[in-house]
Amino acid sequence: MRKAKKSLLVCLIISILIVVLFQSGGLHISPISSRIGPGSPENEVKKVQQKLKSWGYYNGEITGSYGMDTLLAVKDYQLCHGLKPTGITDSKTQYYMGLTTITVSNSAYAQGTNTSDEQLLARAINGEARGEPYEGQVAVGAVILNRTKDPRFPKTIAGVIYQPGAFTAVSDGQINVPIDEKSTVVKAARDALNGWDPTGGCVYYWNPATATSKWIWSRQIVKKIGKHYFGK
Amino acid sequence: MSIRGKLLDFKRRLSDRKMYSIVVVAIAAVAIWGFTQYKSASEMRQRLNNQYNRAFFDMVGYVENVNTLLLKSLITSTPEKTAAVLQEAWRQSNLAQENLGLLPVSQPVLANTSKFLTQIGDLAYTLNNQNINGKPMTDEQYETLEKLQSYADSLQGSLNDLQNQVSAGRLKWDELASKGKPIFKKTSSELPQKQFENIDKTFQEYPTLIYDGPFSDHLSNMQPKGLTGNNITVEEAKKRVIDFFGADKVSEVKDDGKSDTGPIKTYSFKVKFKNAPKDQEAMISITQKGGHVLWMLNNRSVKSADIDMDKAKKLGKQFLDNHGFTNMVDTYYLKEDNTAVINYAYKQDNVTVYPDLIKVKVALDNGEIIGIETQGYLSSHTVRNIPEPKISLEEARNKLTSKMEVLSSGLAIIPTDYKTELVTYEFKGKLNERDFLVYINTETGKEENVLMIINTPNGILTM
Repeated sequence: MRKAKKSLLVCLIISILIVVLFQSGGLHISPISSRIGPGSPENEVKKVQQKLKSWGYYNGEITGSYGMDTLLAVKDYQLCHGLKPTGITDSKTQYYMGLTTITVSNSAYAQGTNTSDEQLLARAINGEARGEPYEGQVAVGAVILNRTKDPRFPKTIAGVIYQPGAFTAVSDGQINVPIDEKSTVVKAARDALNGWDPTGGCVYYWNPATATSKWIWSRQIVKKIGKHYFGK
Repeated sequence: MSIRGKLLDFKRRLSDRKMYSIVVVAIAAVAIWGFTQYKSASEMRQRLNNQYNRAFFDMVGYVENVNTLLLKSLITSTPEKTAAVLQEAWRQSNLAQENLGLLPVSQPVLANTSKFLTQIGDLAYTLNNQNINGKPMTDEQYETLEKLQSYADSLQGSLNDLQNQVSAGRLKWDELASKGKPIFKKTSSELPQKQFENIDKTFQEYPTLIYDGPFSDHLSNMQPKGLTGNNITVEEAKKRVIDFFGADKVSEVKDDGKSDTGPIKTYSFKVKFKNAPKDQEAMISITQKGGHVLWMLNNRSVKSADIDMDKAKKLGKQFLDNHGFTNMVDTYYLKEDNTAVINYAYKQDNVTVYPDLIKVKVALDNGEIIGIETQGYLSSHTVRNIPEPKISLEEARNKLTSKMEVLSSGLAIIPTDYKTELVTYEFKGKLNERDFLVYINTETGKEENVLMIINTPNGILTM
C-alpha cells in the first residue's frame, strides 16, 4: 500500500516537473567574453571603455585598443569594488560592470546580438549543412547569396533565409542551434561572401533522401556535393 | 500475480480516499496545463495569421499603386514628371516584392510574379535615371512599359479575387504554412496553393525584357570575354590541375564531375597533397574552354599570422604573374582567420580596370596561396580600346565638391550595374576625416559613382 502511494507520488512529481520544464525557459546570464584585455576585439574593448568613462574611471578616448590607460582604469575599478586588481577585465569583473548577455538557456538560441550578414549566413549554413564537407558548406552559403541576386527571390540575405518554407533549418529551428567552436561554418560563410561559389550559380539544393517536393526533381542537377544536389 | 490480479489490486487502492484525491489533483494539473498550452498555441496562430494578412494586404496595395503609377507614366509629357512618377513606381514595386517574400507560399509557385515585380521596379529605376537627365522615353521603351502595365493590370485583378477570399475567411494562412496532414492535404493545403499558381500563370507569356538594369534578361547569358582558347578534355584539365599546384606537391587528383550549365562550363577536381593531413584537400574548377582556373579553395586551417600584408600582397602578385595573369595590381583586401583575401585588378597602360577582378587568398603563416577566384577576370577581360578623355583632369577635379581634399587621382574603368563599362577619373579624397573615392566620367564629366572607404582592423572596405 505504502509503496504504491510512493510510486504514484513520484509519478505526479515527475509529471509536474515535466510541465514546469516545458513551460519556462530559464534565463541565463553570461559575460560577453571570457577575458577582455590587450588584444581583445575592438568592439568588446570599446564597451569596457564606455562603461568606465561613464563612471569616471577612464578619461581617454573610446579607441577600442586596450592600452595602458585602459588597464589602469580597470585596476582602479577593481580596487573600488573589492576585486583582484589585475587590470584585465575577467568574467567576474564583467559581471560587476554589467557586461553580460542574457540567453534563454533551454531553448536553443544562438547568441543573437550580432545580426550581421556573416553571422546570419553562418547560422543558416550551420542549420542546413553542419555535417557536410567544407565544400558543401560554402556551396549552401553561395546558393543563399545567388538567390539575393535572382529576381525570383527576395533581395536581402535575411529575406532569402527567412522566406517561409524556403529552408527546413528555419522552419524547424535548427538555424538557432549554437555554432560549435571547432565548426568551419563561419569560415565557409566568409568564403561564400568573398565570392567563392562551388555551385556555379545554383539557386536550389535538396537532399535526394528526404526531398518530398516532386517539383524539385524537375530542376536540372548541376552538381552533387556531399548529401546535397545543387540545381538551377 | 496475474495482470487481472494487479488491475483489481490497483482498483482497490484507488478506492482509498487519499489516493483518490492525489489522482484527481494529477488529472486536474494535466488538464490545466493542456488548456494553457492550447490557448497559447491558438494565440500564436492568430498572431502569425495577422502578420501574413498584413504582408498580403500591403502587397495588394503596392501592386495597385504600381499599376496606377505605370498608367500615369504613360501619360506624363515632361521627362521630369515622368521621372518622379517612375521613381515612385520603383519604390512601390520593391515593397510589393518584399512583402511577397513574406507570404507562406512555396517559392516556385510565385517565382514569375516575384520576377515581374523585381524587373518592373528595375526598369522603372533605369527609365527614371534616363528621364532625370532630360532624355524622354523612346518609342520602344514606351511600348515595353505599356506591355508591363497590362501585366500589372491582370495581376491586380487576380490579387483582388484572392483578397476577397481572404476577407471572407476562406483562405487561412496557417493552413497554407503548415504542411498539413496527408488526409487533409487535398482539401486544406492544395486549394489555396492552386490559386496562387493561377496568379503566377498570368506571366506565362511574359516577354524577355532587355534594358539597362541589373536584372535585365540578357545579363544571365552574357558571353564571357576573357574565356579564350580551345575546348579541352578532362584529361587535359587534370594535367592543368597538376601543373597549377606543382607535380612535386600533389599526391592525388580526383575527378569531381563537370558543370555544363551557365556561361562558364567547368570540370571540377579534388586534390590531395603530399605531407599533408588526411582531411586536407583543395577543390578546383577548370573551365572547359581554354582550361583556365575559375576558382580554387584549399580547406587548410591557418593557425597563426606571421607575415605582414606587404609581403602577402607581393606573394599574391608573384603567384598571378607565374600563372599568366600579368599587369595585375592589388586594390583592397580583407584579413580574417589568419588569411588575407586580396583583390587584384588589371592595369592597362595607366588605367585601372576594376571589372577584371581576381581574388587571391593568402595563408599568413607561410604565405601559401590557398584560394583564387577569377570569375570577374574571365567574364570581362579583354584588351580594351580606351578612348582619349574629352575633359581634362583639371576640369574633372573642378566638378568635385570643394569641401573634399583630393589626395590622389588617376584613370579607372568601372563596371555599371548592368555589366557595361565606363571610363572615369578616379579621385581619392578626404571629407570630415573619412576617405572617399569619386568617379567622374572622362567623356561627359558626370559623377558616376561615389564610394566610401572603410578602414577596419581587418582591412580596407569600400561601400
